[in-house]
Amino acid sequence: MKKSLYLLFTVFCCSRLFGQDCSIRLTGHVHSTISHENLPNATVQLSGTAKTLITNSNGDFAFDSLCAGTYSIIITHSSYDTIVKSVVVQRRLHVDFDLMPARNTLSKVTVTGVKGVQNTGLKRELSGRKLDETRGLSLAEALSKMNGVSVLQTGSTISKPIIHGLHSNRILTINNGVRQEGQQWGNEHSPEIDPFIANRLTIIKGVDELRYGSDAIGGVILVEPRALRNSPGYNAELNALYFANNRQYVTSFIFEQQLKKLSSFTYRLQGSFKKGANVNTPAYRLNNTGIEEKNFSLTAGWRKEHFNSEIYYSFFNTEIGIFAGSHIGNLSDLSNAIAASRPDPTFTGQNTYKIERPYQDVTHHLLKWKTGFDIDNNKFTVLVAGQHNQRKEYDVVRNSSTKTPQIDLSIFTFSEEINWEHPRKSNFSGVVGLTALQQDNSYSGRYLIPNYRSYSFGGYAIEKWEKGNLDVQAGVRYDNKDINTNRLQAASQTFTAYHFNFSTLASSVNAGFKILPEWKINSNVSLSTRAPQVNELLTNGIHHGAGTYEVGDIYLKPERSFNVSVNSSYTSTNKIFSADLTLYRNDIANFIYQQPKPDEPVLTIRGAFPKIVYEAADALLHGLDISTVFVPYQRFSLTSKYSMLRARNRRIDDWLIGMPADRIGNELTYNLKDLGQFSNTYFSIEVQNVFKQTRVPGDKNGAQDYKLPPEGYMLMNADVSTTIKLKKLPLAFSISGRNLLNKSYREYLNSFRYFTDEMGRNISIRLKIALEHFY
Amino acid sequence: MKKQLLKFSLLFFGASALLLSSCKKDKDEENEEEVITTMQLTLVPQGGGTTVTYKFDDPDGPGGGAPTQDQIILAPNKTYSVSLLLLNKTVTPAEDISTEVAAEGQAHRFYYEPSAGSNIVVSGLNVDGSGIALGLISSWTTTTAATGTIKITLRHYPGNPPNKAAADAVNSSKSSTDIEVDFNTSIQ
Repeated sequence: MKKSLYLLFTVFCCSRLFGQDCSIRLTGHVHSTISHENLPNATVQLSGTAKTLITNSNGDFAFDSLCAGTYSIIITHSSYDTIVKSVVVQRRLHVDFDLMPARNTLSKVTVTGVKGVQNTGLKRELSGRKLDETRGLSLAEALSKMNGVSVLQTGSTISKPIIHGLHSNRILTINNGVRQEGQQWGNEHSPEIDPFIANRLTIIKGVDELRYGSDAIGGVILVEPRALRNSPGYNAELNALYFANNRQYVTSFIFEQQLKKLSSFTYRLQGSFKKGANVNTPAYRLNNTGIEEKNFSLTAGWRKEHFNSEIYYSFFNTEIGIFAGSHIGNLSDLSNAIAASRPDPTFTGQNTYKIERPYQDVTHHLLKWKTGFDIDNNKFTVLVAGQHNQRKEYDVVRNSSTKTPQIDLSIFTFSEEINWEHPRKSNFSGVVGLTALQQDNSYSGRYLIPNYRSYSFGGYAIEKWEKGNLDVQAGVRYDNKDINTNRLQAASQTFTAYHFNFSTLASSVNAGFKILPEWKINSNVSLSTRAPQVNELLTNGIHHGAGTYEVGDIYLKPERSFNVSVNSSYTSTNKIFSADLTLYRNDIANFIYQQPKPDEPVLTIRGAFPKIVYEAADALLHGLDISTVFVPYQRFSLTSKYSMLRARNRRIDDWLIGMPADRIGNELTYNLKDLGQFSNTYFSIEVQNVFKQTRVPGDKNGAQDYKLPPEGYMLMNADVSTTIKLKKLPLAFSISGRNLLNKSYREYLNSFRYFTDEMGRNISIRLKIALEHFY
Repeated sequence: MKKQLLKFSLLFFGASALLLSSCKKDKDEENEEEVITTMQLTLVPQGGGTTVTYKFDDPDGPGGGAPTQDQIILAPNKTYSVSLLLLNKTVTPAEDISTEVAAEGQAHRFYYEPSAGSNIVVSGLNVDGSGIALGLISSWTTTTAATGTIKITLRHYPGNPPNKAAADAVNSSKSSTDIEVDFNTSIQ
């Protein structure tokens, strides 16, 4: 499914009225700045009116019967950047518009978004109401609204996205253009990003991955804020949310301004705050499952015709309580906790915001400077970024006077990138870039990973060719990573310092063909290589909560993935039916996973722990995602999704552990007609079916799991939403319900399925006020 | 143009590498907190006799070198006053953890489980501030010659309040294991 970029073109209403003349004709023409092509199929909308047009094959549009005044237009087109101008209409007028190709849409193959409805219905929103519906949820939960994405959880507060069965360091997260370098050493380390920054969440696979790394075996997540203002004025947005289940409240604000006198300068302030109390399952409330999150960001941009520069700073801090009943001393504790049908009352029943040990406190700073300029249609971009991530984990301690964290990891990253987009010439466009990254990690407290410094550099080239119904893209990337580790001395032991050097290569070819205007087929072949992470090489210690003793392997080799995928999307000409199908197959050589060694228990003063060793195997992941949208009549739509994955460990000829089960989602939406002060009113009801995961590894190579996967489940969710105009201020108001039937269930991909049920019914309300003023 | 590009990038890479190395300052070596490396039992026979000590000892903490473990040898038909000492030997001088456990007695409890046929009976556990068994001090009584095992477990109550109760079993889901050691025993 192709992601559309909405172009906001704004002219505003009625600052001056000229008599009663309401018969003015406004015509316009839209074309590309770079290729000077006419742009058909751009949607042009007059703000404040119900008038919407699509540009014809020559890129032309015409509005008739306009009253005199100042107007606002909105244009939607795939793969072009936002432009805003104001137009004063007094008499018949013709305006030409030049659009710049969007930076990161050098063809992306999106893993089936849920945008079917939006594409045909809503406009204006870059990301639409589907993203709004996820406000207040974690980044991973928001992403999981896309077909093919599931969530790896540790309790209800820690979640990571899984794309086609792969997660953590097999997925790259790009936070506002910068590769996120946080700490994802374990399943309980979630991405350190405020989802409110995003105005759009995109998952890309294929050629465009190469811009960000050679190691995106599972795909790339782009977290993109909206473009800075480009018309003088200011706008603000305020969100307020309340979730009844855990009394969680969330607020967020955005303020953006472009000065009239200094129109090259534009800036944005953004922030959010979230605080939740203990989570309630249908049968009991889980103590110490509160969360508190504080985030803010500043963006300042300077823009001239052939030059733009942007500075961005963001701060992320989260404090996450971890259910104390999951804190396991040794293997027999774990077996006892697993055997119990529900947690001991000692660990349930408190309804408080207070967070106690065990908890995590994670802070992430990002400072980015990006500059772009163009010379004779050659576009250059220079990006420099610094990140600091500090993860503190506070375990349950014996001595209540201990205030320090038991794990304290601190990681500094500097990254640089420079790229060049050559001018479009005889249907060719492309980009080449050089990247470098320096990283320094240090720890104190309990050993998880050693101190290390790493230096990487890389380069990539992507070329795209397009003609008629056919487009072909290809790209190649090389990276080299050098790691020097140094573990601190502990007790009387000293440890070897290691040096690793990994070269990784990636390449990708993509071809798209429009068989019919409404039917497109896209196929992709990608080779990715991921160097082993420091934890996979050198971890050594007890994993509390998993009840295992984990050992890394310094001889691991880079993983090599060979990914083939085919996507077919169809939209009937009358827009009544659309369908999207993706088939994929991912062969991964040297796939790094954790293999239990039942014959080699590690004896400690806490008792014996089963040993788990990082090993390499050959893995095969293949599956399909299918989604359909059926609009039997204008206001009513049915969206259906199905995703399926089969994942094998070929070395031991068995299933891979921890893979998402098949799931089906169906959503009915009814859009009401705008009525008086009410607009964008809709009701939707969603039924989600998750099957039991039956494809799990057997015991022939040592027991791989402590408990059989839980039963499948069905959840019902609903949303009611409307926008009320209050003195010209649009106030969006929604009520949502998750798990409406208050069903007790456990999810295979949540490691707390051993101990507790999932969250019960959660009713939430959302308020959003947006205002805009033009100078 | 390409030359300029290269210069540009080299400049940036160089600058940030410099920044990185100037930012870096090595942290002091810190050891893992909360480590218990050693459990030592001191057994004083009542009515005279030689005091004996036995221990489980893993001086480098979990992982690394394997722990060493003594066999507990006792005389028949004797009652021993047993005191238990916990040490963290990864720091110098070794840290006495048992005083910590005593201070937080309401969140801790030792359990002694002699195997059937070991001919050892454990009683007289000392108590915490609420009068519930703590077990840093106990009394072991032997009968006739036998071999067997004794499992010594230290349970920690992470809850707030801990809700420690006299009836709590060793595998109570209210508490979790800080120590679990099996000693071989011989009465001879």
